[in-house]
Amino acid sequence: MDSQSTTAAGTPIPVNIVTGFLGSGKTTLLQRLLRAPQMARTVVLINEFGEIGLDHLLVERVDEALVLLQNGCICCSVRDDLKTALRGLLSRREREEIPAFDRVVIETTGLADPGPVLYTLLGEPVVRHSFRLGNVVTTVDALNADLHLSRNPEGVKQVAAADRLVITKTDLADPAQTGAVRDMLGRINPSAEILDVAEVGFDTERVLAEQIRDLTPLMRFRPHVAESTPTADPSRGLQHNASVASLSLALEEPLDWTAFGIWLTLLLHRHGDNVLRVKGILRLQDVAAPVFINAVQHVVHPPQHLARWPTADHRSRIVFITRGIEHSLLARSLAAFSNSRVAARADA
Amino acid sequence: MCALCGVFLTEAHWTDVSGGLRTRRHERLHRVALANRILKHYGFKLSDWQGNAYLLSAATGQTAVLPNVAAVWPAAEQLRKRTLDPLDPNLIEALERG
Repeated sequence: MDSQSTTAAGTPIPVNIVTGFLGSGKTTLLQRLLRAPQMARTVVLINEFGEIGLDHLLVERVDEALVLLQNGCICCSVRDDLKTALRGLLSRREREEIPAFDRVVIETTGLADPGPVLYTLLGEPVVRHSFRLGNVVTTVDALNADLHLSRNPEGVKQVAAADRLVITKTDLADPAQTGAVRDMLGRINPSAEILDVAEVGFDTERVLAEQIRDLTPLMRFRPHVAESTPTADPSRGLQHNASVASLSLALEEPLDWTAFGIWLTLLLHRHGDNVLRVKGILRLQDVAAPVFINAVQHVVHPPQHLARWPTADHRSRIVFITRGIEHSLLARSLAAFSNSRVAARADA
Repeated sequence: MCALCGVFLTEAHWTDVSGGLRTRRHERLHRVALANRILKHYGFKLSDWQGNAYLLSAATGQTAVLPNVAAVWPAAEQLRKRTLDPLDPNLIEALERG
């Protein structure tokens, strides 16, 4: 499609992904989001697994602009369908078969691996021209989070891919349990903002907002040098898959972008299946503005120049969420190849 | 945008975007020099090929022409049936020694 297929201003249309394990409250969250006036021109794509379920009926009452993808899991088998659905939306809008829209939300199945969905959005030329990836939102059920995340690798991938983690059913859980879930999610994905759906002042706008303060979680950690690979510690509350851990790095010197790119391509080539997420803000040599990087497994978002630093700390900050990777080697490897002193904090 | 299939995409690979003040030619030569820090450890040499591709050469004389740096790693492994690993302690020690 050409530039007419984008929004009135000619900018790509944001696409948000709402994912989360089966029964974790994706549709309920979506209903709340769609009630906001600014979401009136939103199209929702639902990927149903098997027969049309209750979810579809519930969402249909909220928004008429629904397109149902019926070929199973978006991520594994209907990537072409997602591409076709997005391109079809543009064609139908131009033929005035559907109203103008300025946002698309994709609700995945509970078993979806988010990586291929992101790849379709970022890698398919026509889709990439007309749409851009917005926040990835992952719902986590406070009552069953430890069960879901300890037994289902897809659930951990969904948490790792998130920009927003929304804890649901907290009205049914006791505060200690909710706190433990929050701690666990923070250890898996320290780069995501965690929101509690039942909290007073829960802001639906915040779920999809993309502003520079969204990088606050990246800037919050206080790194120190990691001595060894983190291991699961039963004394630390809820446990997810013990081999999944996050590593937060701060680099003292400005990075050579070329060196970082070479290193990251090799890391993702060799270990991409186990590098669930890379998210960071980089201070580069000869470049005043910070650069934002974001990758989910093998899928690398186009790097973005930011207008300014979110805080006074102008060191590069990178969060890695990995599975079964020795973090001391990861930090050493980056430091050796980039010639930069690296401070690290590891969470398991 | 996939780190594994830069060949498939019609636009520049994300690593091809220059981050600094170098000219395109200097940037390509810089990229080649940096990649060779890793590749020499495994018996390879990378060079610029007419300003729009890269030539990967193995010590055995085998070569491959590649569109971007992300394509170098699988090609190298294919040529020599050997794994290139940035977390290989021997490679890291070699890089640390300079």
